Amino acid sequence: MPATVEIAVFWPFFVYFGCVIVLVAGMVGVSYVLGSRHWERATGAPFESGIVTTGSARVGVPANFYLVAMLFVIFDLESVFLFAWAAVVRQVGWTGYVGACVFIVMMAAALVYLWRVGALEGR
Amino acid sequence: MTGVELILLLPLIVLSGAAVAVMLAIAVRRNYLAAFLLTLLGFVLTIMAVALSPGGPQRNVTALFVFDDFARFFIGLITGAGLFVAVLAFDYFRQQRGQFEEFFIMLLGATFGCAVLVASRHFASLFLGLEILSVSLYAMIAYSRDREISTEAGLKYLILAGVSAAFLVFGMALVYAQTGALEFSRMPYITASPDEPLDIIVLAGFGMIIVGIGFKLALVPFHLWTPDVYQGAPAPVTAFIATASKGAVFALLLRLFAQTDVAFYPPLYVTFVILAIASMLFGSWLALLQNNMKRILAYSSIAHLGFLLVAFMGRGHIQSTAAAFYLTAYFVTTLGAFGIVSLLSPGERDAEWIEDYRGLFWRRPFVAVVFSVMIFSLAGIPLTGGFVGKVLVILAGEQAAQWALVVVLVTASAISLFYYVRVVGIMYMPAEAGGADRPALPGLSLQGGGALACLTGLLVLLGVYPGPFLDLVRDMVTTVYAGVLPR
Amino acid sequence: MLMELWVVPALPLAGFCVLALVGKRLSRWLVAGIGAGSVGLAMVGAIYFSHDFMAFEPTGHLYRESLWTWLNVGGFSPDIGLYLDPLSVVMMLVVTIVGFLIHVYSIQYMAGDEAYSRFFAYMNLFVSSMLILVLADDLLILYLGWEGVGLCSYLLIGFWYQSAANARAAIKAFVVTRVGDTAMAIGLFLLFTQLGTLDIQEVLVRAVRQWPVGSATAIAAAGLLLAGAVGKSAQLPLQVWLPDAMAGPTPVSALIHAATMVTAGVYLIARMHDLFIIAPPVQTAVAVIGAATLVLAGCSAMTQFDIKRVLAYSTISQVGYMFLALGVHAWSAALFHFMTHAFFKSLLFMGAGAVIISMHHEQNMFKMGGLRKQLPFTFWTFLIGACSLASLPLVTSGFYSKGLILWSVWATGHPVLWGAALLGEFITSVYTFRMVFLTFFGEPKGEVSARPGPIILGPLVILAFFSTVAGCVHIPRPLGHFRLFARLVEQALPVPPMQPLPIATEVVFQLLMQGSVLLGVAFAYVLFLRRNDLVAAWTARPAGNALHRFWFSGWGFDWVYTTLLAKPYVWFAHASRDDAFEWIYRGIGAINRGLHEQLSRTQTGLVRWYAVGIVIGAVLLLGLVVFL
Repeated sequence: MPATVEIAVFWPFFVYFGCVIVLVAGMVGVSYVLGSRHWERATGAPFESGIVTTGSARVGVPANFYLVAMLFVIFDLESVFLFAWAAVVRQVGWTGYVGACVFIVMMAAALVYLWRVGALEGR
Repeated sequence: MTGVELILLLPLIVLSGAAVAVMLAIAVRRNYLAAFLLTLLGFVLTIMAVALSPGGPQRNVTALFVFDDFARFFIGLITGAGLFVAVLAFDYFRQQRGQFEEFFIMLLGATFGCAVLVASRHFASLFLGLEILSVSLYAMIAYSRDREISTEAGLKYLILAGVSAAFLVFGMALVYAQTGALEFSRMPYITASPDEPLDIIVLAGFGMIIVGIGFKLALVPFHLWTPDVYQGAPAPVTAFIATASKGAVFALLLRLFAQTDVAFYPPLYVTFVILAIASMLFGSWLALLQNNMKRILAYSSIAHLGFLLVAFMGRGHIQSTAAAFYLTAYFVTTLGAFGIVSLLSPGERDAEWIEDYRGLFWRRPFVAVVFSVMIFSLAGIPLTGGFVGKVLVILAGEQAAQWALVVVLVTASAISLFYYVRVVGIMYMPAEAGGADRPALPGLSLQGGGALACLTGLLVLLGVYPGPFLDLVRDMVTTVYAGVLPR
Repeated sequence: MLMELWVVPALPLAGFCVLALVGKRLSRWLVAGIGAGSVGLAMVGAIYFSHDFMAFEPTGHLYRESLWTWLNVGGFSPDIGLYLDPLSVVMMLVVTIVGFLIHVYSIQYMAGDEAYSRFFAYMNLFVSSMLILVLADDLLILYLGWEGVGLCSYLLIGFWYQSAANARAAIKAFVVTRVGDTAMAIGLFLLFTQLGTLDIQEVLVRAVRQWPVGSATAIAAAGLLLAGAVGKSAQLPLQVWLPDAMAGPTPVSALIHAATMVTAGVYLIARMHDLFIIAPPVQTAVAVIGAATLVLAGCSAMTQFDIKRVLAYSTISQVGYMFLALGVHAWSAALFHFMTHAFFKSLLFMGAGAVIISMHHEQNMFKMGGLRKQLPFTFWTFLIGACSLASLPLVTSGFYSKGLILWSVWATGHPVLWGAALLGEFITSVYTFRMVFLTFFGEPKGEVSARPGPIILGPLVILAFFSTVAGCVHIPRPLGHFRLFARLVEQALPVPPMQPLPIATEVVFQLLMQGSVLLGVAFAYVLFLRRNDLVAAWTARPAGNALHRFWFSGWGFDWVYTTLLAKPYVWFAHASRDDAFEWIYRGIGAINRGLHEQLSRTQTGLVRWYAVGIVIGAVLLLGLVVFL
């Protein structure tokens, strides 16, 4: 179709786009004009329910924590695949069953490995 | 799933089973030698499974895989490369302190990814294979954890491979959006006649797929990661990236564009010509005055992939035969070259500086002669497989009337002679007097020396008596065209 | 039966590989065992195959063994194969037998040398290359052997490379033969472009079919091949390298002169005989070159001091006889003389070697003398070889082979060439017996330090035996007419076009030849044993002195080549050191270097830049794809 027709068909989008621009510009502009400006000692400090912060937010968490968290996420995501199987368990029949078993056995093997190498121990 | 299909799938089953077996073996008892031997067993069983599986064209297994002779050939080749890398890695890591048993799981996994790639006939299996390969490679590259450069290389590869994979998936999505097909064989002729221009979205989709594949093949301009990663990765891993990883992706490219003729629409064709020319020339120029052996080989592999693309530029059996033969010779040569770098590496660093090789002939005549043969083959000097491969590639380019490519190929070969001959020259120079400060290079193990001797023999055999192998390749490539209707 | 012929050249090659790779670690006896043993086994194989060949008489009197096709692309499919016919049987037997004896001799001769394994490795490669050359089925393979022989001669002449003179001699041999090799390579290109094949038999068949006798192409092809043969066989005008090639160890000289290098040219012409037959001018040139060479080299041999140089000039002269025979279509005579020459010349060289090591490496004959008493064993074997070289009647093999050549030259109607050959006979016996008299007779001038051991003397005895009886395989008409050798060779090579002359004529000519030989011996006896003062008086005169110096320097060829070719070339090379072409090459180098440096700057090592590189590449690629 010719370009002119396209514009004619899509005109509500352009109107909507213009409105969004005007609204956002208005909000930022009005608060800029009306808002008060001050620069004091605590202005830049993070607001924590009125309590003054102590220490840095960058606290070292033991690496093991991340490891366990990651392992959890991995196994969690892998077991999600079983839901897909569950939804079609009758249709895929025994082939699907064997496939799911292989999948589960592999996950179990990975778990055995992790357990044996000591990845699950909190140190 | 029928029994025949299971038998066809056997190589993949054996490979993945071997990976799980090694993992469980480590869980039971951590033993380096046992893990290595299990890995070897896995590779050997895979090769046997490949050899025993019924050949022929169009052996489809589900919508995802095809185990025709083409796939069997490349699975065999890649498994062979994996086997050799395992031998290298065994010697390489044995000298270092730390736990290296898990490396073999990664190696089996990466080989499995490659095998999936060459057997895939579907975008989904393509992507799965590529990701299995990449994820294993991230870990393998960064395996020497106490070396900063290794970690850095692993991180670089992780980020950049992620970027390129994004392009690849986006491209697939575009192609799917427009054609509704994910199987290669269902998108052979997207237009009614080759003169009719392709839909722009399909073109853009394939363009993005080329970006993703070009990254893996390290074609210019997607090559920037190559030298850093090659240098940083442990030498056996570099050997694997340079051969199995690239070879699998190239085989996939061959299949993708044998089954669809999309590569021969002018825009994509011109793109490939430019990529080939740029890779050949830039690769050779970049290697010219390089002093790091691994970087030289990295740049030279960029140029070699450019040469391979020349063979790719025609749609015929001669071209595919030339490409497959060249790829095989390249496998053998590159494995040998990186194998020597790996076997000569002392525990604390890699023997990567060209100065490490000064006067090698006088200290290690056998290794120096083997290395010379490898380098001569890379340079395409007669009586080596590299020469026959180059002749075939030039013939293929001539058949496709790609004169510009042939001229550039010859020019780039001439430039590359400089740095190849330089390395050989340094090996035969008298050993420097004050070379005592360098750590002594370790001696060859029996299996390492034997593997090198095998590769050298194979390379000379390919150069002197290529006939039977050429026939094998010729029959093999015909199967990849099976099932494609002539236009 | 004739299966596995390939083991004959493969065995010495395997010996070379083993010695080259691990020779340094092996004990001396093992090195000697591998070096001589591999050639010995090759000899056994050669004898076995020759026996089979003659016993079973394969159809067409030839046997082909196709080993493999190197590669098969674009219609170019060189077959690697071996070819055995009576010609190659004779060559193969002589190369392996003489080669083996020389190897055995070297075990003791080279015993004190540091580079023992290197020596045997080169020698094995030499024999292997020569076997490849004579068994080649294809000109390409023949050329491989041809170049291999050239390479080995270079390596062995310069074996003691620490001395600059030896290295120069090696380079000279290599460069001079290279002139011939280049011509030969061009000849091969010509044959391939014109005939479309390099298979020897096919080339000959097609050449005869396509080219009329005396056509320009045939003459050009044959002429180019002749140039190659002249270079390898040290014939006029490329003979200058051979006397200097004496720089190598004596067994090497024996191998080069008797069995391998210099006979390659003879073999080439005999092998390509059909091509030479259809190029009559070239054929005549072969004969004239042979005749001229044999006289010139003989004259030079008469004036040398160094015993090895005498032998070197005598080789040039004897190969001249072979060329002469080839030129008059007397193929079997040439081959016959090749065989006898291989036996007696290797005998003479090894005898000379025995003398030299007994005399503290003294090679000047004027410092020897009277060795007859001190080295009786060496003396007798050397004398047998010398008699054969001078072709004393009836009891020497040289008598039969050279007699056949002379008779063939006359009978094919070349009286002038016959005259030159007869003169050559006289000269040959003069210089031969000059050498014998100076070395073994007269007053002892030096002391004998060491006597040669049994491993050195054994080969001498065997060769002395062969030098005596090898002539019996072909006995001329007046003496019994026994033509075993000629009958064998004529299965492969055509019969010479001889006029049917009466036996009486042949007897007369035999007597003429014998007369000149005996006259030469008498001449030598008088001049060099009885009346030494006569020679001194002649050379004291200006004319005699000038002639002596002229002959001594090998007819001034070296001087001519140096002045006319080498010096202007060196001058030109110096003058054009900085010419425009040089700038082009430097420019190419600089451009590549600059590109390397510019491109290297893109390898920053920053991962963000690499990612941007991918994105830029993708944008360019997509732009290209979408807008093209």
